[in-house]
Amino acid sequence: MLPDLTTIKDLLPEISLIALAMWIYIGGTIATQRQWWSWFSLAAYVVVGFMLYKQDLIMWPYLSETDGGAVSGPLVIDYLGHATRWIAVAMGFVFTLMSSRLIGRRTASEFLATLMLLVVGVMIVARANDLVLMFLGLELVSIPTYVLLFLGRGDRSSAEATTKYFFLSILSSAVLLYGFSFLYGMAGTTVLMGTEGNPGIREMLGTMTQSEVADGLGRFAPFALILILAGLGFRLAAVPFHFYAPDVYQGTTNANAGLLTVAPKIVGIVGIIRLIVATMPLSAHLGWQLVIVLSILTMTIGNVAALWQKNLRRLMAYSSIAHAGYMLIGLTVALAGRNQGLVENGGVAAMYLYLLVYVVASAGIFAALSFLSSEDREVNTLDDISGVASRHPAIAGAVALFMFSLAGIPPLAGFWGKFSLFGGAISAAANVDHAATSSWLITLAIVGVLNAAIAAAYYLRVIATMYFYSSSREEDARGGWEAAVATGLCAFTVVALGILPGSIMRTSRLAEQSAIAGTTVKASSTLAAYQTDARVDER
Amino acid sequence: MDSQMLLLISLVLPLLGAGLVWVVAPLGRGAIRWTALVVSLVTLLTVGLTVFSADAAVGGVFAVSDYQWLGDLATGAPDIRFSVGLDGLSVWLFGLSGLLMVTCILVSWEAIQDRPALFYGMLLMLACGCLGVFSARDIILFYIFFEFTLIPLFFLIGIWGSEDRRYAAVKFFVFTLAGSVLTFLGMLAIVFLHYQATGVLTFSIPALTERFAVEPIQPLALQCAIFVALFAGFAIKVPLFPLHTWLPLAHVQAPTAGSVILAGILLKIGTYGFLRFNIPMLPDAAAYFMPMLMWLAVAGIIYGALVALAQGDMKRLIAYSSVSHLGYCMLGLFALNRLGVQGGTLQMINHGISTGGLFAMVGMVYERYHTREIAKLGGLSRRTPLLALFMLVFTFSSIGLPGLNGFAGEFPILLGAFQRAWLEAPTGLAAQLLAIAVLAVSGVVLGAWYMLCLIQRVFFGPLKEPHEDGHHEPVRDMKLREVLAVAPLVVFVFWIGLQPKFFLDRMDGTLNEATAQARRSMVRLYSDTEEVAAVDSASELRVAGQPNVATPDGR
Repeated sequence: MLPDLTTIKDLLPEISLIALAMWIYIGGTIATQRQWWSWFSLAAYVVVGFMLYKQDLIMWPYLSETDGGAVSGPLVIDYLGHATRWIAVAMGFVFTLMSSRLIGRRTASEFLATLMLLVVGVMIVARANDLVLMFLGLELVSIPTYVLLFLGRGDRSSAEATTKYFFLSILSSAVLLYGFSFLYGMAGTTVLMGTEGNPGIREMLGTMTQSEVADGLGRFAPFALILILAGLGFRLAAVPFHFYAPDVYQGTTNANAGLLTVAPKIVGIVGIIRLIVATMPLSAHLGWQLVIVLSILTMTIGNVAALWQKNLRRLMAYSSIAHAGYMLIGLTVALAGRNQGLVENGGVAAMYLYLLVYVVASAGIFAALSFLSSEDREVNTLDDISGVASRHPAIAGAVALFMFSLAGIPPLAGFWGKFSLFGGAISAAANVDHAATSSWLITLAIVGVLNAAIAAAYYLRVIATMYFYSSSREEDARGGWEAAVATGLCAFTVVALGILPGSIMRTSRLAEQSAIAGTTVKASSTLAAYQTDARVDER
Repeated sequence: MDSQMLLLISLVLPLLGAGLVWVVAPLGRGAIRWTALVVSLVTLLTVGLTVFSADAAVGGVFAVSDYQWLGDLATGAPDIRFSVGLDGLSVWLFGLSGLLMVTCILVSWEAIQDRPALFYGMLLMLACGCLGVFSARDIILFYIFFEFTLIPLFFLIGIWGSEDRRYAAVKFFVFTLAGSVLTFLGMLAIVFLHYQATGVLTFSIPALTERFAVEPIQPLALQCAIFVALFAGFAIKVPLFPLHTWLPLAHVQAPTAGSVILAGILLKIGTYGFLRFNIPMLPDAAAYFMPMLMWLAVAGIIYGALVALAQGDMKRLIAYSSVSHLGYCMLGLFALNRLGVQGGTLQMINHGISTGGLFAMVGMVYERYHTREIAKLGGLSRRTPLLALFMLVFTFSSIGLPGLNGFAGEFPILLGAFQRAWLEAPTGLAAQLLAIAVLAVSGVVLGAWYMLCLIQRVFFGPLKEPHEDGHHEPVRDMKLREVLAVAPLVVFVFWIGLQPKFFLDRMDGTLNEATAQARRSMVRLYSDTEEVAAVDSASELRVAGQPNVATPDGR
């Protein structure tokens, strides 16, 4: 199937970023100034941001008229995809800013271009409506990550981290692919959400009869579910696929660790929404018990293990594991609710909202750590930041904000994430007519909030180290004003979303609606017609 | 200006002040603390005007403002609103918050040398949080202010506290958070049960109260579960025995201002929560748990008093006395009759004033001698007669000397407890309740004992001063600043003591409404109880020779 012109147009931002990345790769061999290429990348993200904006001008009015999204070639055009692309570009911008002074002078252009490819990977996953494209996007996130990890620092621990991540990531990709093969085997197509006359996996699985589910091809649905969950669970760093995280984070640079908390989480969650919640209606009754166990284990193990960490990146790794557990609460609600007939139950919206607020705070923390680091001396342990508050009050204040946000203390963004997750769980528990489901959801919510209290202990320890102790050494703080700006942007977002969370609540709600209301998916021709109309209107 | 505007200004001013403190920070400590003082005084003015406005005298809800905040469900966001206002339950606590904030700033005037901008900024943010908690009329807004108060106090204890401050700060935060997250779940459960029952997703406290007071959540087990969830956060905050272990540590380690505000205001959030949420929204469960909660309350009274007796550290002693006094508040509230609830609510204010004052006085002693050890001090009334006098007033207020505010609170509480035990006792519980009431009275004796011991050892007898700090110049008596810090509190000690009716009248209607359903549930749950038309309001008691004016019926 050849993609038609509208699909190419839809992909223009991605294509531009790839072209620019190639330009950086090639140009970097000639001109090696780190500063110059950083500016070039930043400008590229701004330009692509503008392109996204232009696309949105056409898409939003179209999307607001329909419940679901539209299909354009192997892409799905919906709120979830569009919002996630914005996050991807913002992520690229922030991470370029924070690392612009710290990346190795000779490998600067490679780092920046690889980061850009990774951003493209996230953008592709955001809208993939085809198993092949989804896998391509996921790999376009993974492979640049190997390179980035290796470029991070030339020492042995860095090499160890890279190797570890490489092998486990390959394994998880293989597992995921195996899961995809079951999906393909059951449905006979690689398209996730089909259109009228061209059914996708979602429709094929949705229309299976009871006997087919029990004895026919439907028997393979649990395999597909478990394998896909395992493959994406690695990206989320969910227990029991979390073992790599602490070692890898510790072994790499602050900016890379930050990237690892952000990019795989985004693709993991979006992948889960697309593959498990939206595509596999069969998965609901199988999935929610499984996910409840994963969720409880993940957050508890993550939080308890984080209590003992002295290395900041290790601590953040366990915190990242714990947050994956919270996000799985949203998945549980989505699946359990659907199993009881509540299709739009806020579970996906809560998970997505939580992802947004987590990503901002986490990126901010690593931006601040980058600011405090220098090229040859990274901030590693808690001791390294003791007494920072008296020397860099603004940075320390920002880190405190991020930590409070991760702990879910109002009035910061993280609170609304917790509000949505626990509110979703309690709301589903109150609304389903099934006592066992209700009580499990309530148990999950109680474990979740108690975990939030445990988590506060180690977040507070970081704040206490910065504010309550005097310093043992001067840190170099060579991250430059770029890293400071990145920190400031994240801090501003955390506070702004904390005080006015209405916009992200709306976005995540729309993302949920459009991602799982698959029945009204329209063919690309409709969208193309709409785009033409819009253009005519403009004139 | 109308009270509605005044209330909004009182909420915003401290936040603006916190920003202003940062702006003037480069000018030095003097500019910072004067800014903070002026801001807190203006806030006190607006708070005072709100609390004593004509609207407040009418009773019921006043100064209400209500703005859309997140948007509504149609746009994908839950309809959480910025909705504030005051009523009989909150009006005096709101006023107390404004009052104690000025005290806090004045007692920190010289004690705080390190990072003053951060200190006063945090103090003002804390003020905003406290004022917000008591004025919130949206359940999530309440929770936001409730949790938000943790952040500034965490820094206040952790940066400016004593030796063990870091541990105390973290323990305080995590302990309180562990409880309040469960409270949060309970609140969400209330909201979504309301949604399930009526199809309206509202977070408005009055709307939820209205619904669940009329048609309590069924079955009783569910209601009790939600009660326990709310209880977790509020009981830790109160703190109710045996969840009090964080309190003495936090109090002893906190700087004076932190102790004052912690004892004076933050503990009240717990009792206020019980009165605002547990009793009106979960009336059956409140009635069901009544005997258990009264036992816990009286255990706190006795335990707190006994432990206070054994303390050698002044601050720790007062901290344990707080455990004891808050036990009285809880005892009064869960006596679930008009007298008890009135007394319990008044006792919240009284405890804020007297214990806030006591902590301020102990802080002044500490500033002079750098010790809080009772054994190292003695006969200070010769050296600092004025300080001793103020200390004496707050002590008498704390032990409930008739004519002072403590009596006006404790006496109705005990009457309420006895009324519950003798006249309204549910079948089978009479003996228990009587035992509780008698034990509570013995707590009064213990309270007088440990406080008078403290006073006698530290302020009277032969003069004893610690010399290890090398004090060469003689210790001075209170300065004008220090007098001004606590003098307003003394005014209220006498005012409430001599004219409790003025304060009670403004609370009575709302209190009655808030607890009416729980009283009915009592009758339903323990069906043999008879409603007794005995003494029904503390206003009807002749306290300090006030003419007896019965409150109008029908409230």
